[in-house]
Amino acid sequence: MTPRKLFTVALVVALAAPPKILRGADAGRIQFENRQKNSGVSFVLANGTLPDKPMIDGIPGGVALLDYDNDGYLDIFFTNGATLPGLAKEGDKFSNRLYHNNHDGTFTDVTDRAGLRGEGYSVGAAAADYDNDGRTDLYVTGFDRNFLYHNNGDGTFTDVTAKAGVTGASSAGKKLWGISAAWLDYDNDGKLDLFVVNYLDWSLATSRVCGSPGKRLSCSPTLYKGEPNILYHNNGNGTFTDVSEGMGISRNIGKGMGVAIADYNDDGWMDIFVANDNDRNFLFKNRGGKAFDEVGVESFVAYTDSGLPVSSMGVDFRDWNNDGKPSLIVTALGGETYPLFRNEGNGFFSYESYKAGIGFRSLKMSGWGTGIQDFDNDGYKDLFTANSHVSENADLDGQQHYRQANAVFRNMHDGTFQDVSRDAGPGLQIRAAHRGCAFGDLNNDGKIDVVVSAIGSSAELLYNTSTGGNHWILIKTVGVKSNRDGIGTRIKVTTASGLVQYNHVTTAGSYASSNDPRVHFGLGADTVIKEIELKWPSGTVQVQRNVKADQVLPVTEE
Amino acid sequence: MRTAFRSLLFAVCATWPAFAGPCTGAEGQLAQVSKALTVNALDMAENALRTLGVSYPDCPEVVLHQARLAQGKGNISEAAELYYRYTDADPDDSRGLAYFGGFFLEQRDYRRADALSAAAVYKNPDDPTALALRGQILVMKGQSSEGQNLLEKAIKLDPDDPEAQFQLGTIYDKAKAAVQAVEHFRKAATLNPHDARAWDYLALNLELAGDLDGTEQAYQKGLQVNQAGRYHDAFLDYNYGRFLAKRNDLTGSKRHLDRAVESAPQIRAVWYERAKLDMRMQNYQQARADAEKAAACTQQGGVIDLQIYSLLSQVYARLGDTALAKKYTDLTRDTPPPVRGEQR
Repeated sequence: MTPRKLFTVALVVALAAPPKILRGADAGRIQFENRQKNSGVSFVLANGTLPDKPMIDGIPGGVALLDYDNDGYLDIFFTNGATLPGLAKEGDKFSNRLYHNNHDGTFTDVTDRAGLRGEGYSVGAAAADYDNDGRTDLYVTGFDRNFLYHNNGDGTFTDVTAKAGVTGASSAGKKLWGISAAWLDYDNDGKLDLFVVNYLDWSLATSRVCGSPGKRLSCSPTLYKGEPNILYHNNGNGTFTDVSEGMGISRNIGKGMGVAIADYNDDGWMDIFVANDNDRNFLFKNRGGKAFDEVGVESFVAYTDSGLPVSSMGVDFRDWNNDGKPSLIVTALGGETYPLFRNEGNGFFSYESYKAGIGFRSLKMSGWGTGIQDFDNDGYKDLFTANSHVSENADLDGQQHYRQANAVFRNMHDGTFQDVSRDAGPGLQIRAAHRGCAFGDLNNDGKIDVVVSAIGSSAELLYNTSTGGNHWILIKTVGVKSNRDGIGTRIKVTTASGLVQYNHVTTAGSYASSNDPRVHFGLGADTVIKEIELKWPSGTVQVQRNVKADQVLPVTEE
Repeated sequence: MRTAFRSLLFAVCATWPAFAGPCTGAEGQLAQVSKALTVNALDMAENALRTLGVSYPDCPEVVLHQARLAQGKGNISEAAELYYRYTDADPDDSRGLAYFGGFFLEQRDYRRADALSAAAVYKNPDDPTALALRGQILVMKGQSSEGQNLLEKAIKLDPDDPEAQFQLGTIYDKAKAAVQAVEHFRKAATLNPHDARAWDYLALNLELAGDLDGTEQAYQKGLQVNQAGRYHDAFLDYNYGRFLAKRNDLTGSKRHLDRAVESAPQIRAVWYERAKLDMRMQNYQQARADAEKAAACTQQGGVIDLQIYSLLSQVYARLGDTALAKKYTDLTRDTPPPVRGEQR
């Protein structure tokens, strides 16, 4: 072949070869469709507000996704408010709600049968199998009452709060205002412990009134003292012990809203991040299961790079840049930005909201629930925020809006995100007083859906209808030596084409909510996973190879 | 009838000089001079006043505008003398009192400014110049609501007063009402394109309103006109530097923050912001120097001790100086965050 012909052939080959594009990068669009209308989910979050707008009215709105009957499909639990000032769940309006997934896009209200109407002013929900009996239990926080509901396995739950000793009261016996809760095995003894995040030392009797008559606003949390969080150690016999003091938790007083867990320093012990409202955030570094050190300031997550706190509400703690290190997103109020803290892996985090491209956009948003999830299954986790201002009369300001549309930011694979909310379908354009949200695959189609609670509006069942046809896997861990849910298991997935991703098993995150315990990975164009590595809390490392994509994969600890 | 007409004619002719005042015929030119002075077009005003001074030597209003011109050129003694001369000649003219009050405000003689502005409004409650100055002073005294009312009234009477528009804009800026602030700063900058402050504030509020391209343009315009003098903005480079950092233009940000520390070295905020940029550029030694400089400044410029402690704890942590890192970490932890309003 002559040089000229060789050149021509080479040119043709080069032109014919597919351009090198990011895996799945342009393969589809992130889309959501709200299917609440025909779903049978009629839940409307009722906050019992009064004309003077006491600050409790802005706080409720937890959502939990849990498979309470082990039929393989996620069911939905909503927390609800109560009358004010009576704090009573009068009538159906204020009942907490459990909806059974019928597998066909519809749900059935099974609250009464389950015994989950609740009492008092409920706020958050955290679901996990605390007694390792194979059935998911439920912890509900509230202003005046917290509840632990044991799953009886027959569609009913029993209130075991008092017996378990998890009432949410301080060591002095004062009920603290519970917001979010997280299940984690902090000492790796195979039993799930419980971390409860508490908010303010506030009561209706001492409630301040803010704003002018007829234009009341939510008072700032700076008017009140904060409260300590509570860590309950699971004794393994249906009871828990409050170990907050000994474990270094209770000495840190904050104004806790959201909580998320991750092993941020990869030492095998789960750490805890608490989003504090208008106060420095907490990062509780687990010291080998023996104690926690609060290192928010030392690790640069206490404040944004302005050195000032924001009104931290929700949080998620996952690896969004596939470097193996879980990083943080926190929601806040308008004018503050949503802090994005990237884990550098050296004990430090860097505030990267502007660098990552969400600074200017989030400046105009106020957010609550949030999640770091791969919505388009391209192998890179995206961001979702459930948006709304805290004050019902925020619109009087002219710059703020009470009802806001939720937002989704697409991961661009280069450390930045792009706000694709406007193109994400009508489901993402709904302006409402959104609060908590939970992430999970409601219809087991491999795409992560979102259920959002909203004050005074119907809940939103945002089914993920993203296009592109990317592949996926959902991993359902079953612990043996570790806690049965496998919470705390760190998972590394390497696809056939070489993309490496990390995630971990947790139901905690967002705001006052509880997510699908199954761990989701988007796989892009890959149909085979070369290797799945699971590091269980027990210390066991387990590897599976050549796993087919597009399935719910149960993995039992060996 | 004829006799009555002749009497009337005689009376008019006899008193005609009294109707033709010393400024008669100069009204149009005086209005132009006034407008030129309002937008700081000093050369134009000076040329016109030279001519007017020759043609209308006894016109007191010429003296008033000469005083304003001297003020604009920074000739303080001359301005003061001219203002005294004018207000002695016409103590009831609300405009004269207002302009003189504005002169004292610029000289930071707040007591005199306060008194003259009050007198001006008393003399003529519908004089937009008087209303604008009085409104500004009331806001400075903490009477924001009353001040805002007067400024709104001033603008209704004279929407082309750039200073009134600017002052009203600052009220909305302080209230974080970005949309309204943009409206007034835009007007101020359009009416007086030489006002770098107006461009700066416009940019800040456009950023809050989400118009990033508009923000960039406003900063560029402000930088072009930011000369020494009445409308100089010492913080324009600082604000633009911060904006560029958010846009991830670290080189551009550094250029402007370097200028900011030169133009306002006594202000903590400029050193603080440059220290943050140094951190981002991983220039930790320089960050340490700038952060320590910020800590030593007594004029805070909006940066409080907590912010300095937090930054220094990070700087020393990055540098591996565990003792100092701990010192500032403890200080950060022990310093309560600021209370930013009772409601939200």
